[in-house]
Amino acid sequence: MASSETTRPGAVSPLGNADTDEIDLVAVQTYWQLVRRRFFRNKTAVIGLVLLSILIFSAIFFPWIGGDAWHMTNLSKGPNDPISITAPLGYDNLGINIFFRLMKALQTSLIIGFSAVLIIAVVGTTFGSISGYAGGWVDNLMMRIVDVVLSLPGFFLILMLVAFIGSVVAPMFVIIIAIGITGWTTAARLVRAEFLRLRESDFVQAAKALGASDSRIIIRHMVPSAMAPVLVAATLGIADAVSTEAALSFLGYGIRPPDASLGNMLTGAQDYFYRHPLWILYPGITLILVVLAASFLGDGLRDALDPRQKLEA
Amino acid sequence: MTETRGSNEALLEVKDLRTHFATADGLVKAVDGVSLRIRPGKTLGVVGESGCGKSITALSIMRLIERPGRVVSGSISFDGQDLIALPEDEMRDVRGNQISMIFQEPMTSLNPVYTCGDQIAEAVSRHSNVSKRAAMDRAVDMLSQVGIPDPKRRATEHPHQLSGGMRQRVMIAMALSTNPELLIADEPTTALDVTIQAQILELMKALREKNGMAIMLITHDLGVVAEMSDDVSVMYAGKIVEASDAITVFDKAHHPYTRGLLASIPRMGVKRERLEVIEGVVPNPLNLPKGCLFKRRCPYAMPICDNPPPLREVTPGHVSRCWLAPDGGKPELGEAPSAAEAEAAAKTLTVANP
Repeated sequence: MASSETTRPGAVSPLGNADTDEIDLVAVQTYWQLVRRRFFRNKTAVIGLVLLSILIFSAIFFPWIGGDAWHMTNLSKGPNDPISITAPLGYDNLGINIFFRLMKALQTSLIIGFSAVLIIAVVGTTFGSISGYAGGWVDNLMMRIVDVVLSLPGFFLILMLVAFIGSVVAPMFVIIIAIGITGWTTAARLVRAEFLRLRESDFVQAAKALGASDSRIIIRHMVPSAMAPVLVAATLGIADAVSTEAALSFLGYGIRPPDASLGNMLTGAQDYFYRHPLWILYPGITLILVVLAASFLGDGLRDALDPRQKLEA
Repeated sequence: MTETRGSNEALLEVKDLRTHFATADGLVKAVDGVSLRIRPGKTLGVVGESGCGKSITALSIMRLIERPGRVVSGSISFDGQDLIALPEDEMRDVRGNQISMIFQEPMTSLNPVYTCGDQIAEAVSRHSNVSKRAAMDRAVDMLSQVGIPDPKRRATEHPHQLSGGMRQRVMIAMALSTNPELLIADEPTTALDVTIQAQILELMKALREKNGMAIMLITHDLGVVAEMSDDVSVMYAGKIVEASDAITVFDKAHHPYTRGLLASIPRMGVKRERLEVIEGVVPNPLNLPKGCLFKRRCPYAMPICDNPPPLREVTPGHVSRCWLAPDGGKPELGEAPSAAEAEAAAKTLTVANP
């Protein structure tokens, strides 16, 4: 349609436009298509994703088919029994099936890791978005609170929390909450930084000009755009949370037997280090795999989500 | 002040608006005593260089001025209500509903994470109680009204899948989806190339006729103003320097700044060695000259210009903030009023012409 034939005033659409359409026919890749391509070109990222998927699947599937096997002692079995298809890692000194116990421990660790990270993401995003959106003295005050929390030695704070309320609340929840309330600061800072940028952006201004309320602008227009760095921080945070849990349990402040966690399996295996060195390797290697998988995935996501990074041809 | 052709009722009347920014370096009077009047269904062009306060005026009308800026004084009456006194939640109902705004940068004014249809539908459902489906239908309808081919498909696409011109159309569709009485267009075509500019202007004209809305068109492009406007206000350093209907401003510009702007438009067929320019730059808002703000760049500058000139009527309906005589000639030097007299004159004249 040429514009000459459509200059009638009041016409519904005076300017249908062939040129624009042609331009648009050039294949455009959406942001997420680019992200996907960048992600799947990155070998370590893919390894991280596959590994973490396998670990999550195992942590759900094996404890489910194993039933009670992870804590059932069986006095007719022992460390010297040969490994079998039902006990691929053999039995420990109490006759507990090590494989199923390991899978249960993995489950515990992953639950703690993901829950703590969920708290970190939710608290951090809420805090950071309010701080960044409000600006001024509110922002200043909130960021000083972040500084205070950051200046606390996190691990010892967690130790104290566990020691004080660990007897009343289930240890797993204590650990989740403790990691959550010490770890949200990074996410808060990331979200705040994004919000400071987004607040000045034209589309937020446009949303305001359309009569959108503050809460609507924050939740609908700003949070989705600020999520990329939080996603990266959360993925990397899983590795942190899992190893923190292991450290706590190893020191005896975390999950205690008969409950299974990677940390207390390490503690338990210490006593048998000379006779059964493999026992310490099972939870140790599993822990390393979880941390590696989460780190690979997090790094891969960071590279893939960065819109400034061009796709090398 | 610009009661020219009929219709005395103003849709929007801004009186003596002052918006100041308290910066670390000092007080910036971005808008300093601006009065505007927009008639229903008509287009007011607001012209001026970058930084003269055009956009701040628009944002003040929308009450979207952010810290450290503040509307210090003035009144903005829209449809009989004073926007300055309106509580924030009622103001939100005005924004996007009765007054819509489109921005300069179509590339970044749309949220990249939602589809175009979603964003228009959001504006619709924000201001009327309709189902999601009805809002979406309205969005598709609006997209077709602004001349986007295959609106159903376009509604499901994200902003980055559209070209700049298409995005500006989406912005217009969004702004008009609520049938506003006033559309504030802040340099709507600046970021677009010339052919698309013409299309967008044509579209805005057509939609204005169809919906009977008024437009406040902010631009630094006099060609755009000539094309679109019924009335014109020229701004310089936070003040209106000349205002009248468009024809008068283009044919009988009085203020040297307006004349300079008009002279600097390249003309086809007129052979000139160099393009006319207005010498100098806009004065530093932190350090404004005393008296006339334009005097340092003005070829007609005279001793009297050390006193701030009032906005006074040159011919009925045509005001100019300049000491030059209404016919454009210099006032007789010998008769130039003294500073005190000038100030007194300024006062009475300002009162006479709000």
